[in-house]
Amino acid sequence: MTLPILSLIICIPLLAALVLASGKLKGYAQQISLGASLIQIGLLIKLALGYQTSTATFQWVEQHDWIHFSLGSLGQFVAKYHLGIDGLSFGLIILTGIISSIAIWNSDSIKEKTSSYFALIMLLNASLMGCFLAKDFLLFYLFFEFMLLPMYFLIGIWGGPRKEYASIKFFIYTLAGSLFILLALLALGTSYIDPYETALAIDFIQPGQAFSAENAQMIQTAIANGEIASDKWVHSFDAAVFADLKNCYYKSILHPDSAWVLGNLSAREWAFWLLFIGFGIKLPIVPFHTWLPDAHVEAPTPVSVLLAGVLLKIGAYGWLRFTLPFFPKEALEFSNILSGIGAISIIYGAFNALAMTDLKKLVAYSSISHMGFVLLGIASFTAEGWQGAIFQLISHGVLSSLLFLLVGVIYDRTHDRSIQNYSGLAQIMPAYTFITGLAFFASLGLPGFSGFIGEFFSLMGSFNSQHSSAIWAILGGLGIILGAGYFLWTFQKMFLGKQYLKNSEWLLSDLTRKEKLSLYFLGISSLLLGIFPSIIFNLTDNWVSHLINQLF
Amino acid sequence: MSLTSLFLGILLLPWISGILLLLLLNKKNNVGAWFSTILSTVLLVLLAQFSWLQEKDLSLSFPWFSIGKQLFDLNFYIDSTSRAILLLVGLANFCVQVFSIKYMEKESNKTRYFIWVNLFVGSMIGLLVADQIWIFYGFWELVGASSYFIISFWHHKKSAIKAAKKAFLLNRIGDLALLIGLFLLSKHFGVNQFSQMQVSTFGLLGGISGFLLVLGATGKSAQFPLMSWLPDAMEGPTPASALIHAATMVTAGVFLAIKVFPLTSELTHLTYGIFGGISFLSASIFALFQSDIKKTLAYSTISQIGLMWMGLGSDASLFHLLTHGFFKAGLFLSAGAIIFYVHEQDKKHEIDAQDINNLGGLLRKIPVISISYIIFSLGLIGLPLSSGFYSKENLAGYLIEQSQNSSYANLYYFLVISLGIGVILSTIYTSRQVLLIFGGQQRSNLEFTKSNSPIYFQIPLILLAILSCGFLFSFNPIHLSTSKLIQFSGIELVESPTYWLVFSVFAWAIGLLLAFKFRAKIPAKNYQFIELFWPKLFKTGVRFASFLQSKFERTLDYFFDNLAKLQVIFAHLISWLDRWVVDGILVKGSSKISYIWGSVLSKWQSGKVQSYWAWLSITFGLFLLYFLL
Repeated sequence: MTLPILSLIICIPLLAALVLASGKLKGYAQQISLGASLIQIGLLIKLALGYQTSTATFQWVEQHDWIHFSLGSLGQFVAKYHLGIDGLSFGLIILTGIISSIAIWNSDSIKEKTSSYFALIMLLNASLMGCFLAKDFLLFYLFFEFMLLPMYFLIGIWGGPRKEYASIKFFIYTLAGSLFILLALLALGTSYIDPYETALAIDFIQPGQAFSAENAQMIQTAIANGEIASDKWVHSFDAAVFADLKNCYYKSILHPDSAWVLGNLSAREWAFWLLFIGFGIKLPIVPFHTWLPDAHVEAPTPVSVLLAGVLLKIGAYGWLRFTLPFFPKEALEFSNILSGIGAISIIYGAFNALAMTDLKKLVAYSSISHMGFVLLGIASFTAEGWQGAIFQLISHGVLSSLLFLLVGVIYDRTHDRSIQNYSGLAQIMPAYTFITGLAFFASLGLPGFSGFIGEFFSLMGSFNSQHSSAIWAILGGLGIILGAGYFLWTFQKMFLGKQYLKNSEWLLSDLTRKEKLSLYFLGISSLLLGIFPSIIFNLTDNWVSHLINQLF
Repeated sequence: MSLTSLFLGILLLPWISGILLLLLLNKKNNVGAWFSTILSTVLLVLLAQFSWLQEKDLSLSFPWFSIGKQLFDLNFYIDSTSRAILLLVGLANFCVQVFSIKYMEKESNKTRYFIWVNLFVGSMIGLLVADQIWIFYGFWELVGASSYFIISFWHHKKSAIKAAKKAFLLNRIGDLALLIGLFLLSKHFGVNQFSQMQVSTFGLLGGISGFLLVLGATGKSAQFPLMSWLPDAMEGPTPASALIHAATMVTAGVFLAIKVFPLTSELTHLTYGIFGGISFLSASIFALFQSDIKKTLAYSTISQIGLMWMGLGSDASLFHLLTHGFFKAGLFLSAGAIIFYVHEQDKKHEIDAQDINNLGGLLRKIPVISISYIIFSLGLIGLPLSSGFYSKENLAGYLIEQSQNSSYANLYYFLVISLGIGVILSTIYTSRQVLLIFGGQQRSNLEFTKSNSPIYFQIPLILLAILSCGFLFSFNPIHLSTSKLIQFSGIELVESPTYWLVFSVFAWAIGLLLAFKFRAKIPAKNYQFIELFWPKLFKTGVRFASFLQSKFERTLDYFFDNLAKLQVIFAHLISWLDRWVVDGILVKGSSKISYIWGSVLSKWQSGKVQSYWAWLSITFGLFLLYFLL
């Protein structure tokens, strides 16, 4: 019997969370969670060794029946426990595994209620993994929703002075996003009919029997011709079902021929926008971004690392995994608007970062700017744009974690993050200055680091795109100048120049070994990805070309 | 060694040297400097051997990655142009590193300086050999970054870090234009390699991309309108300025012009020329009013690069790039040696060592440095027997020849006339500088003693002085003739008409005369083009963003906040309803009603079978009545 590795990846942190929540091993909370997360990384390595880059299909698939209920004449609903990885998710789950363990490794500053803290981190890890592994849209949605809970408490309990405000804001925004997604999910679920499950329900095939494309077509035509009674129709939430327009029941409002219109937008367009904004809040896109700086400023360092390093990626993941394949025509139709939102996010985030005096807020706004490149790349509908966007996700995961850890270093020592309260740190903390310089230059897109590749290909895709205007690419390009502006300005103010500290009693010791380990690890990862981008591109190449072929 | 492995050695050696230097970072002695200098010698030997062995253009390709059907290989291409500039980089690098051993001796973290120099050389070599346009772009940006590091070497000096930031930002503005230009170029030609771009028609796309490439190059080459960073960049260590801000980095824009010369139309060439012409004239004027020895040289660099741009990217540009590289690196190094000497004499730092008004009479104090400085200055003026003479003659010849059969003849005339005026101007400011520094008597109150310059200064200066002599380029003193060096660089010469030589003689004479007469009377002024749009762009943008943040984001937050509050109010309302209406009226009320009913009905439950029967028959009867009627 083969090991259900993907389930294990989700279960191990859950198990650890249970152990931690029991509170029996209080003194070892960090060690337990670190252990769990290392076991998880071990499993990820096992996945990596067996992973095949030559195919675009899902691998290590696990499928079990989960929920099955009948709605009488309305048909039946099936939700499956369906896990799998492919080129899109594989890089992201590895990122999740690594960033989680780094967040746990750097959780020394948490002194209160450690076991519940680490239990929540483990829960968060499990739900993040679940998001990236789920093939079933409902299963994904459950993990997506569940993520809110640990995050809310992590900010709300261990956060800074305005933690209540920040956590409730985070909660409301994300919940609003989830509601949008839920609406789209319900509309999709009721409008699409799963041919495979229907075939099972009418005993057309037996469980375990192969189901070919011709079979699916037969079922689809049979449904369209009314040969199968409506109480035998099976609705499922499988992402693959939603990706095939032929599964859409012709009388449903989501069918392209449906006459349903609200405010000039058809039902499909509405559903697209619901999904787009629902995921966009998570990314975040301007103007739905204001939760992010507050959440970051109040969250403790490791939570910020997880938030920026992994959580934000789910927004883009949701677009690539669900929104685009479900609504390709609608996405193409609005690609120019999407690019515009991306370019505005880039510039707006960058200008705000320039205006910030709080180092952590600056990094938070730079995240908004960098995630704008992801949207710009995705909206280009070109292979290089998508590759660039996915690369940028991973690169930003590494770099933003690095940046937030660096902010944490100075905050742990002085509990002050104002840029103007420091000057000439290079003379007191040379190692810290070195790694910050590296992180800043990597983030502003210096060639040789991962940030460059991501931004470059997103821009290239946007520039070469036939669907969106080149003006957005040029505006987005302005972001790289502004990026250089705020990073260099901060570097100059805090690290260079005459030595000055606002409070002369501050004791600023240079990096400890423990800090160095994770910081150098992330810095070197960014360098490696920048010099050998094929590490990511090999994973995503087939997936992207497959999706491009499917859509056009 | 095969050509390929030699090439890889050249490409990687500076990087390896930089990484190894990281290990020596905490050493306070000179070991890092020596280590780096020895490796730079090895690099020069490898370059020499490579140039010796390479007979035809070398094209190399290593697999990197692919996206969809698009291949992104590491393509390299070395022709005679890049080979010649490579040798220039190697030589200048060697001279600068030898010079730096002494010059940086007293700096506590000099190893860091050598790391940055190696980083720069590595990027510059990459830029010169790249064929794949994106590798070219990558190294192009890296060159700018290493320049940032070098300028901010003395990072406790506020002026230095400001200058570094300015340099990087102005470079980035240029980089964006270049990036878009290269996007268009690759779109226009459909390939990503410079060497595989085949010209059929230039078209609109080609025209726009050409213009953007010019704009992009203005950043790195410090040309109009992005020129103002270079004088500020003089805050960096002087030997590094010699390498980066005189001989090599700033010529990257010229290299780009040479590279795309066959791929762009005549109009694009002339755009280069006009931007160059504006820079050439304006920087010459600015140089005239400078009293800071390094800033004068910086402005002269801008103007000389403008001159290369006026060669439109043809062989004339390359020729002047090579000659200028040697004499300008020499000028900067001698200036560094002079500053070093003054600091040594003036231990208490009472005078500004860079102000030429404080110097004077140095010819007798430091003869080797002075003579080499004068030789380099001759090159800058372009007097016969100096290398600069031939490259300027060649350039004038090229422009005059082109003007004869072109539809844009007027533009060529503009360039030729600018060249003429510029020759006079550069003669004035250069000879003024020489006269003030070396001639006459010491003007400050300090007593300077005669000093033998350190050997570390003498070797590079003498080497560069030899390379700035005319006989290497042409045996005929007043006429161009093809020499080995010219052949090696693959330059085709164009002779200038005799009237140009006559004019030149007049120009030099007027220039020298004016310089002699007014040398002490020219006021020190910091003329510059007004800082153009970029600080405004940043400031307005930030103000706008803060405005949006305060208004728009607050409004949005306010909206969401109120939404949440509304929800709470709604929740309270619901709970009130729940308590009073649902629970109070419906539940409790219905329970009360049912209780009343129950008590009423219970009376009917008398337990008597007869009464049950009676009720049943009445009900049944009523039903029957209802259905029947």
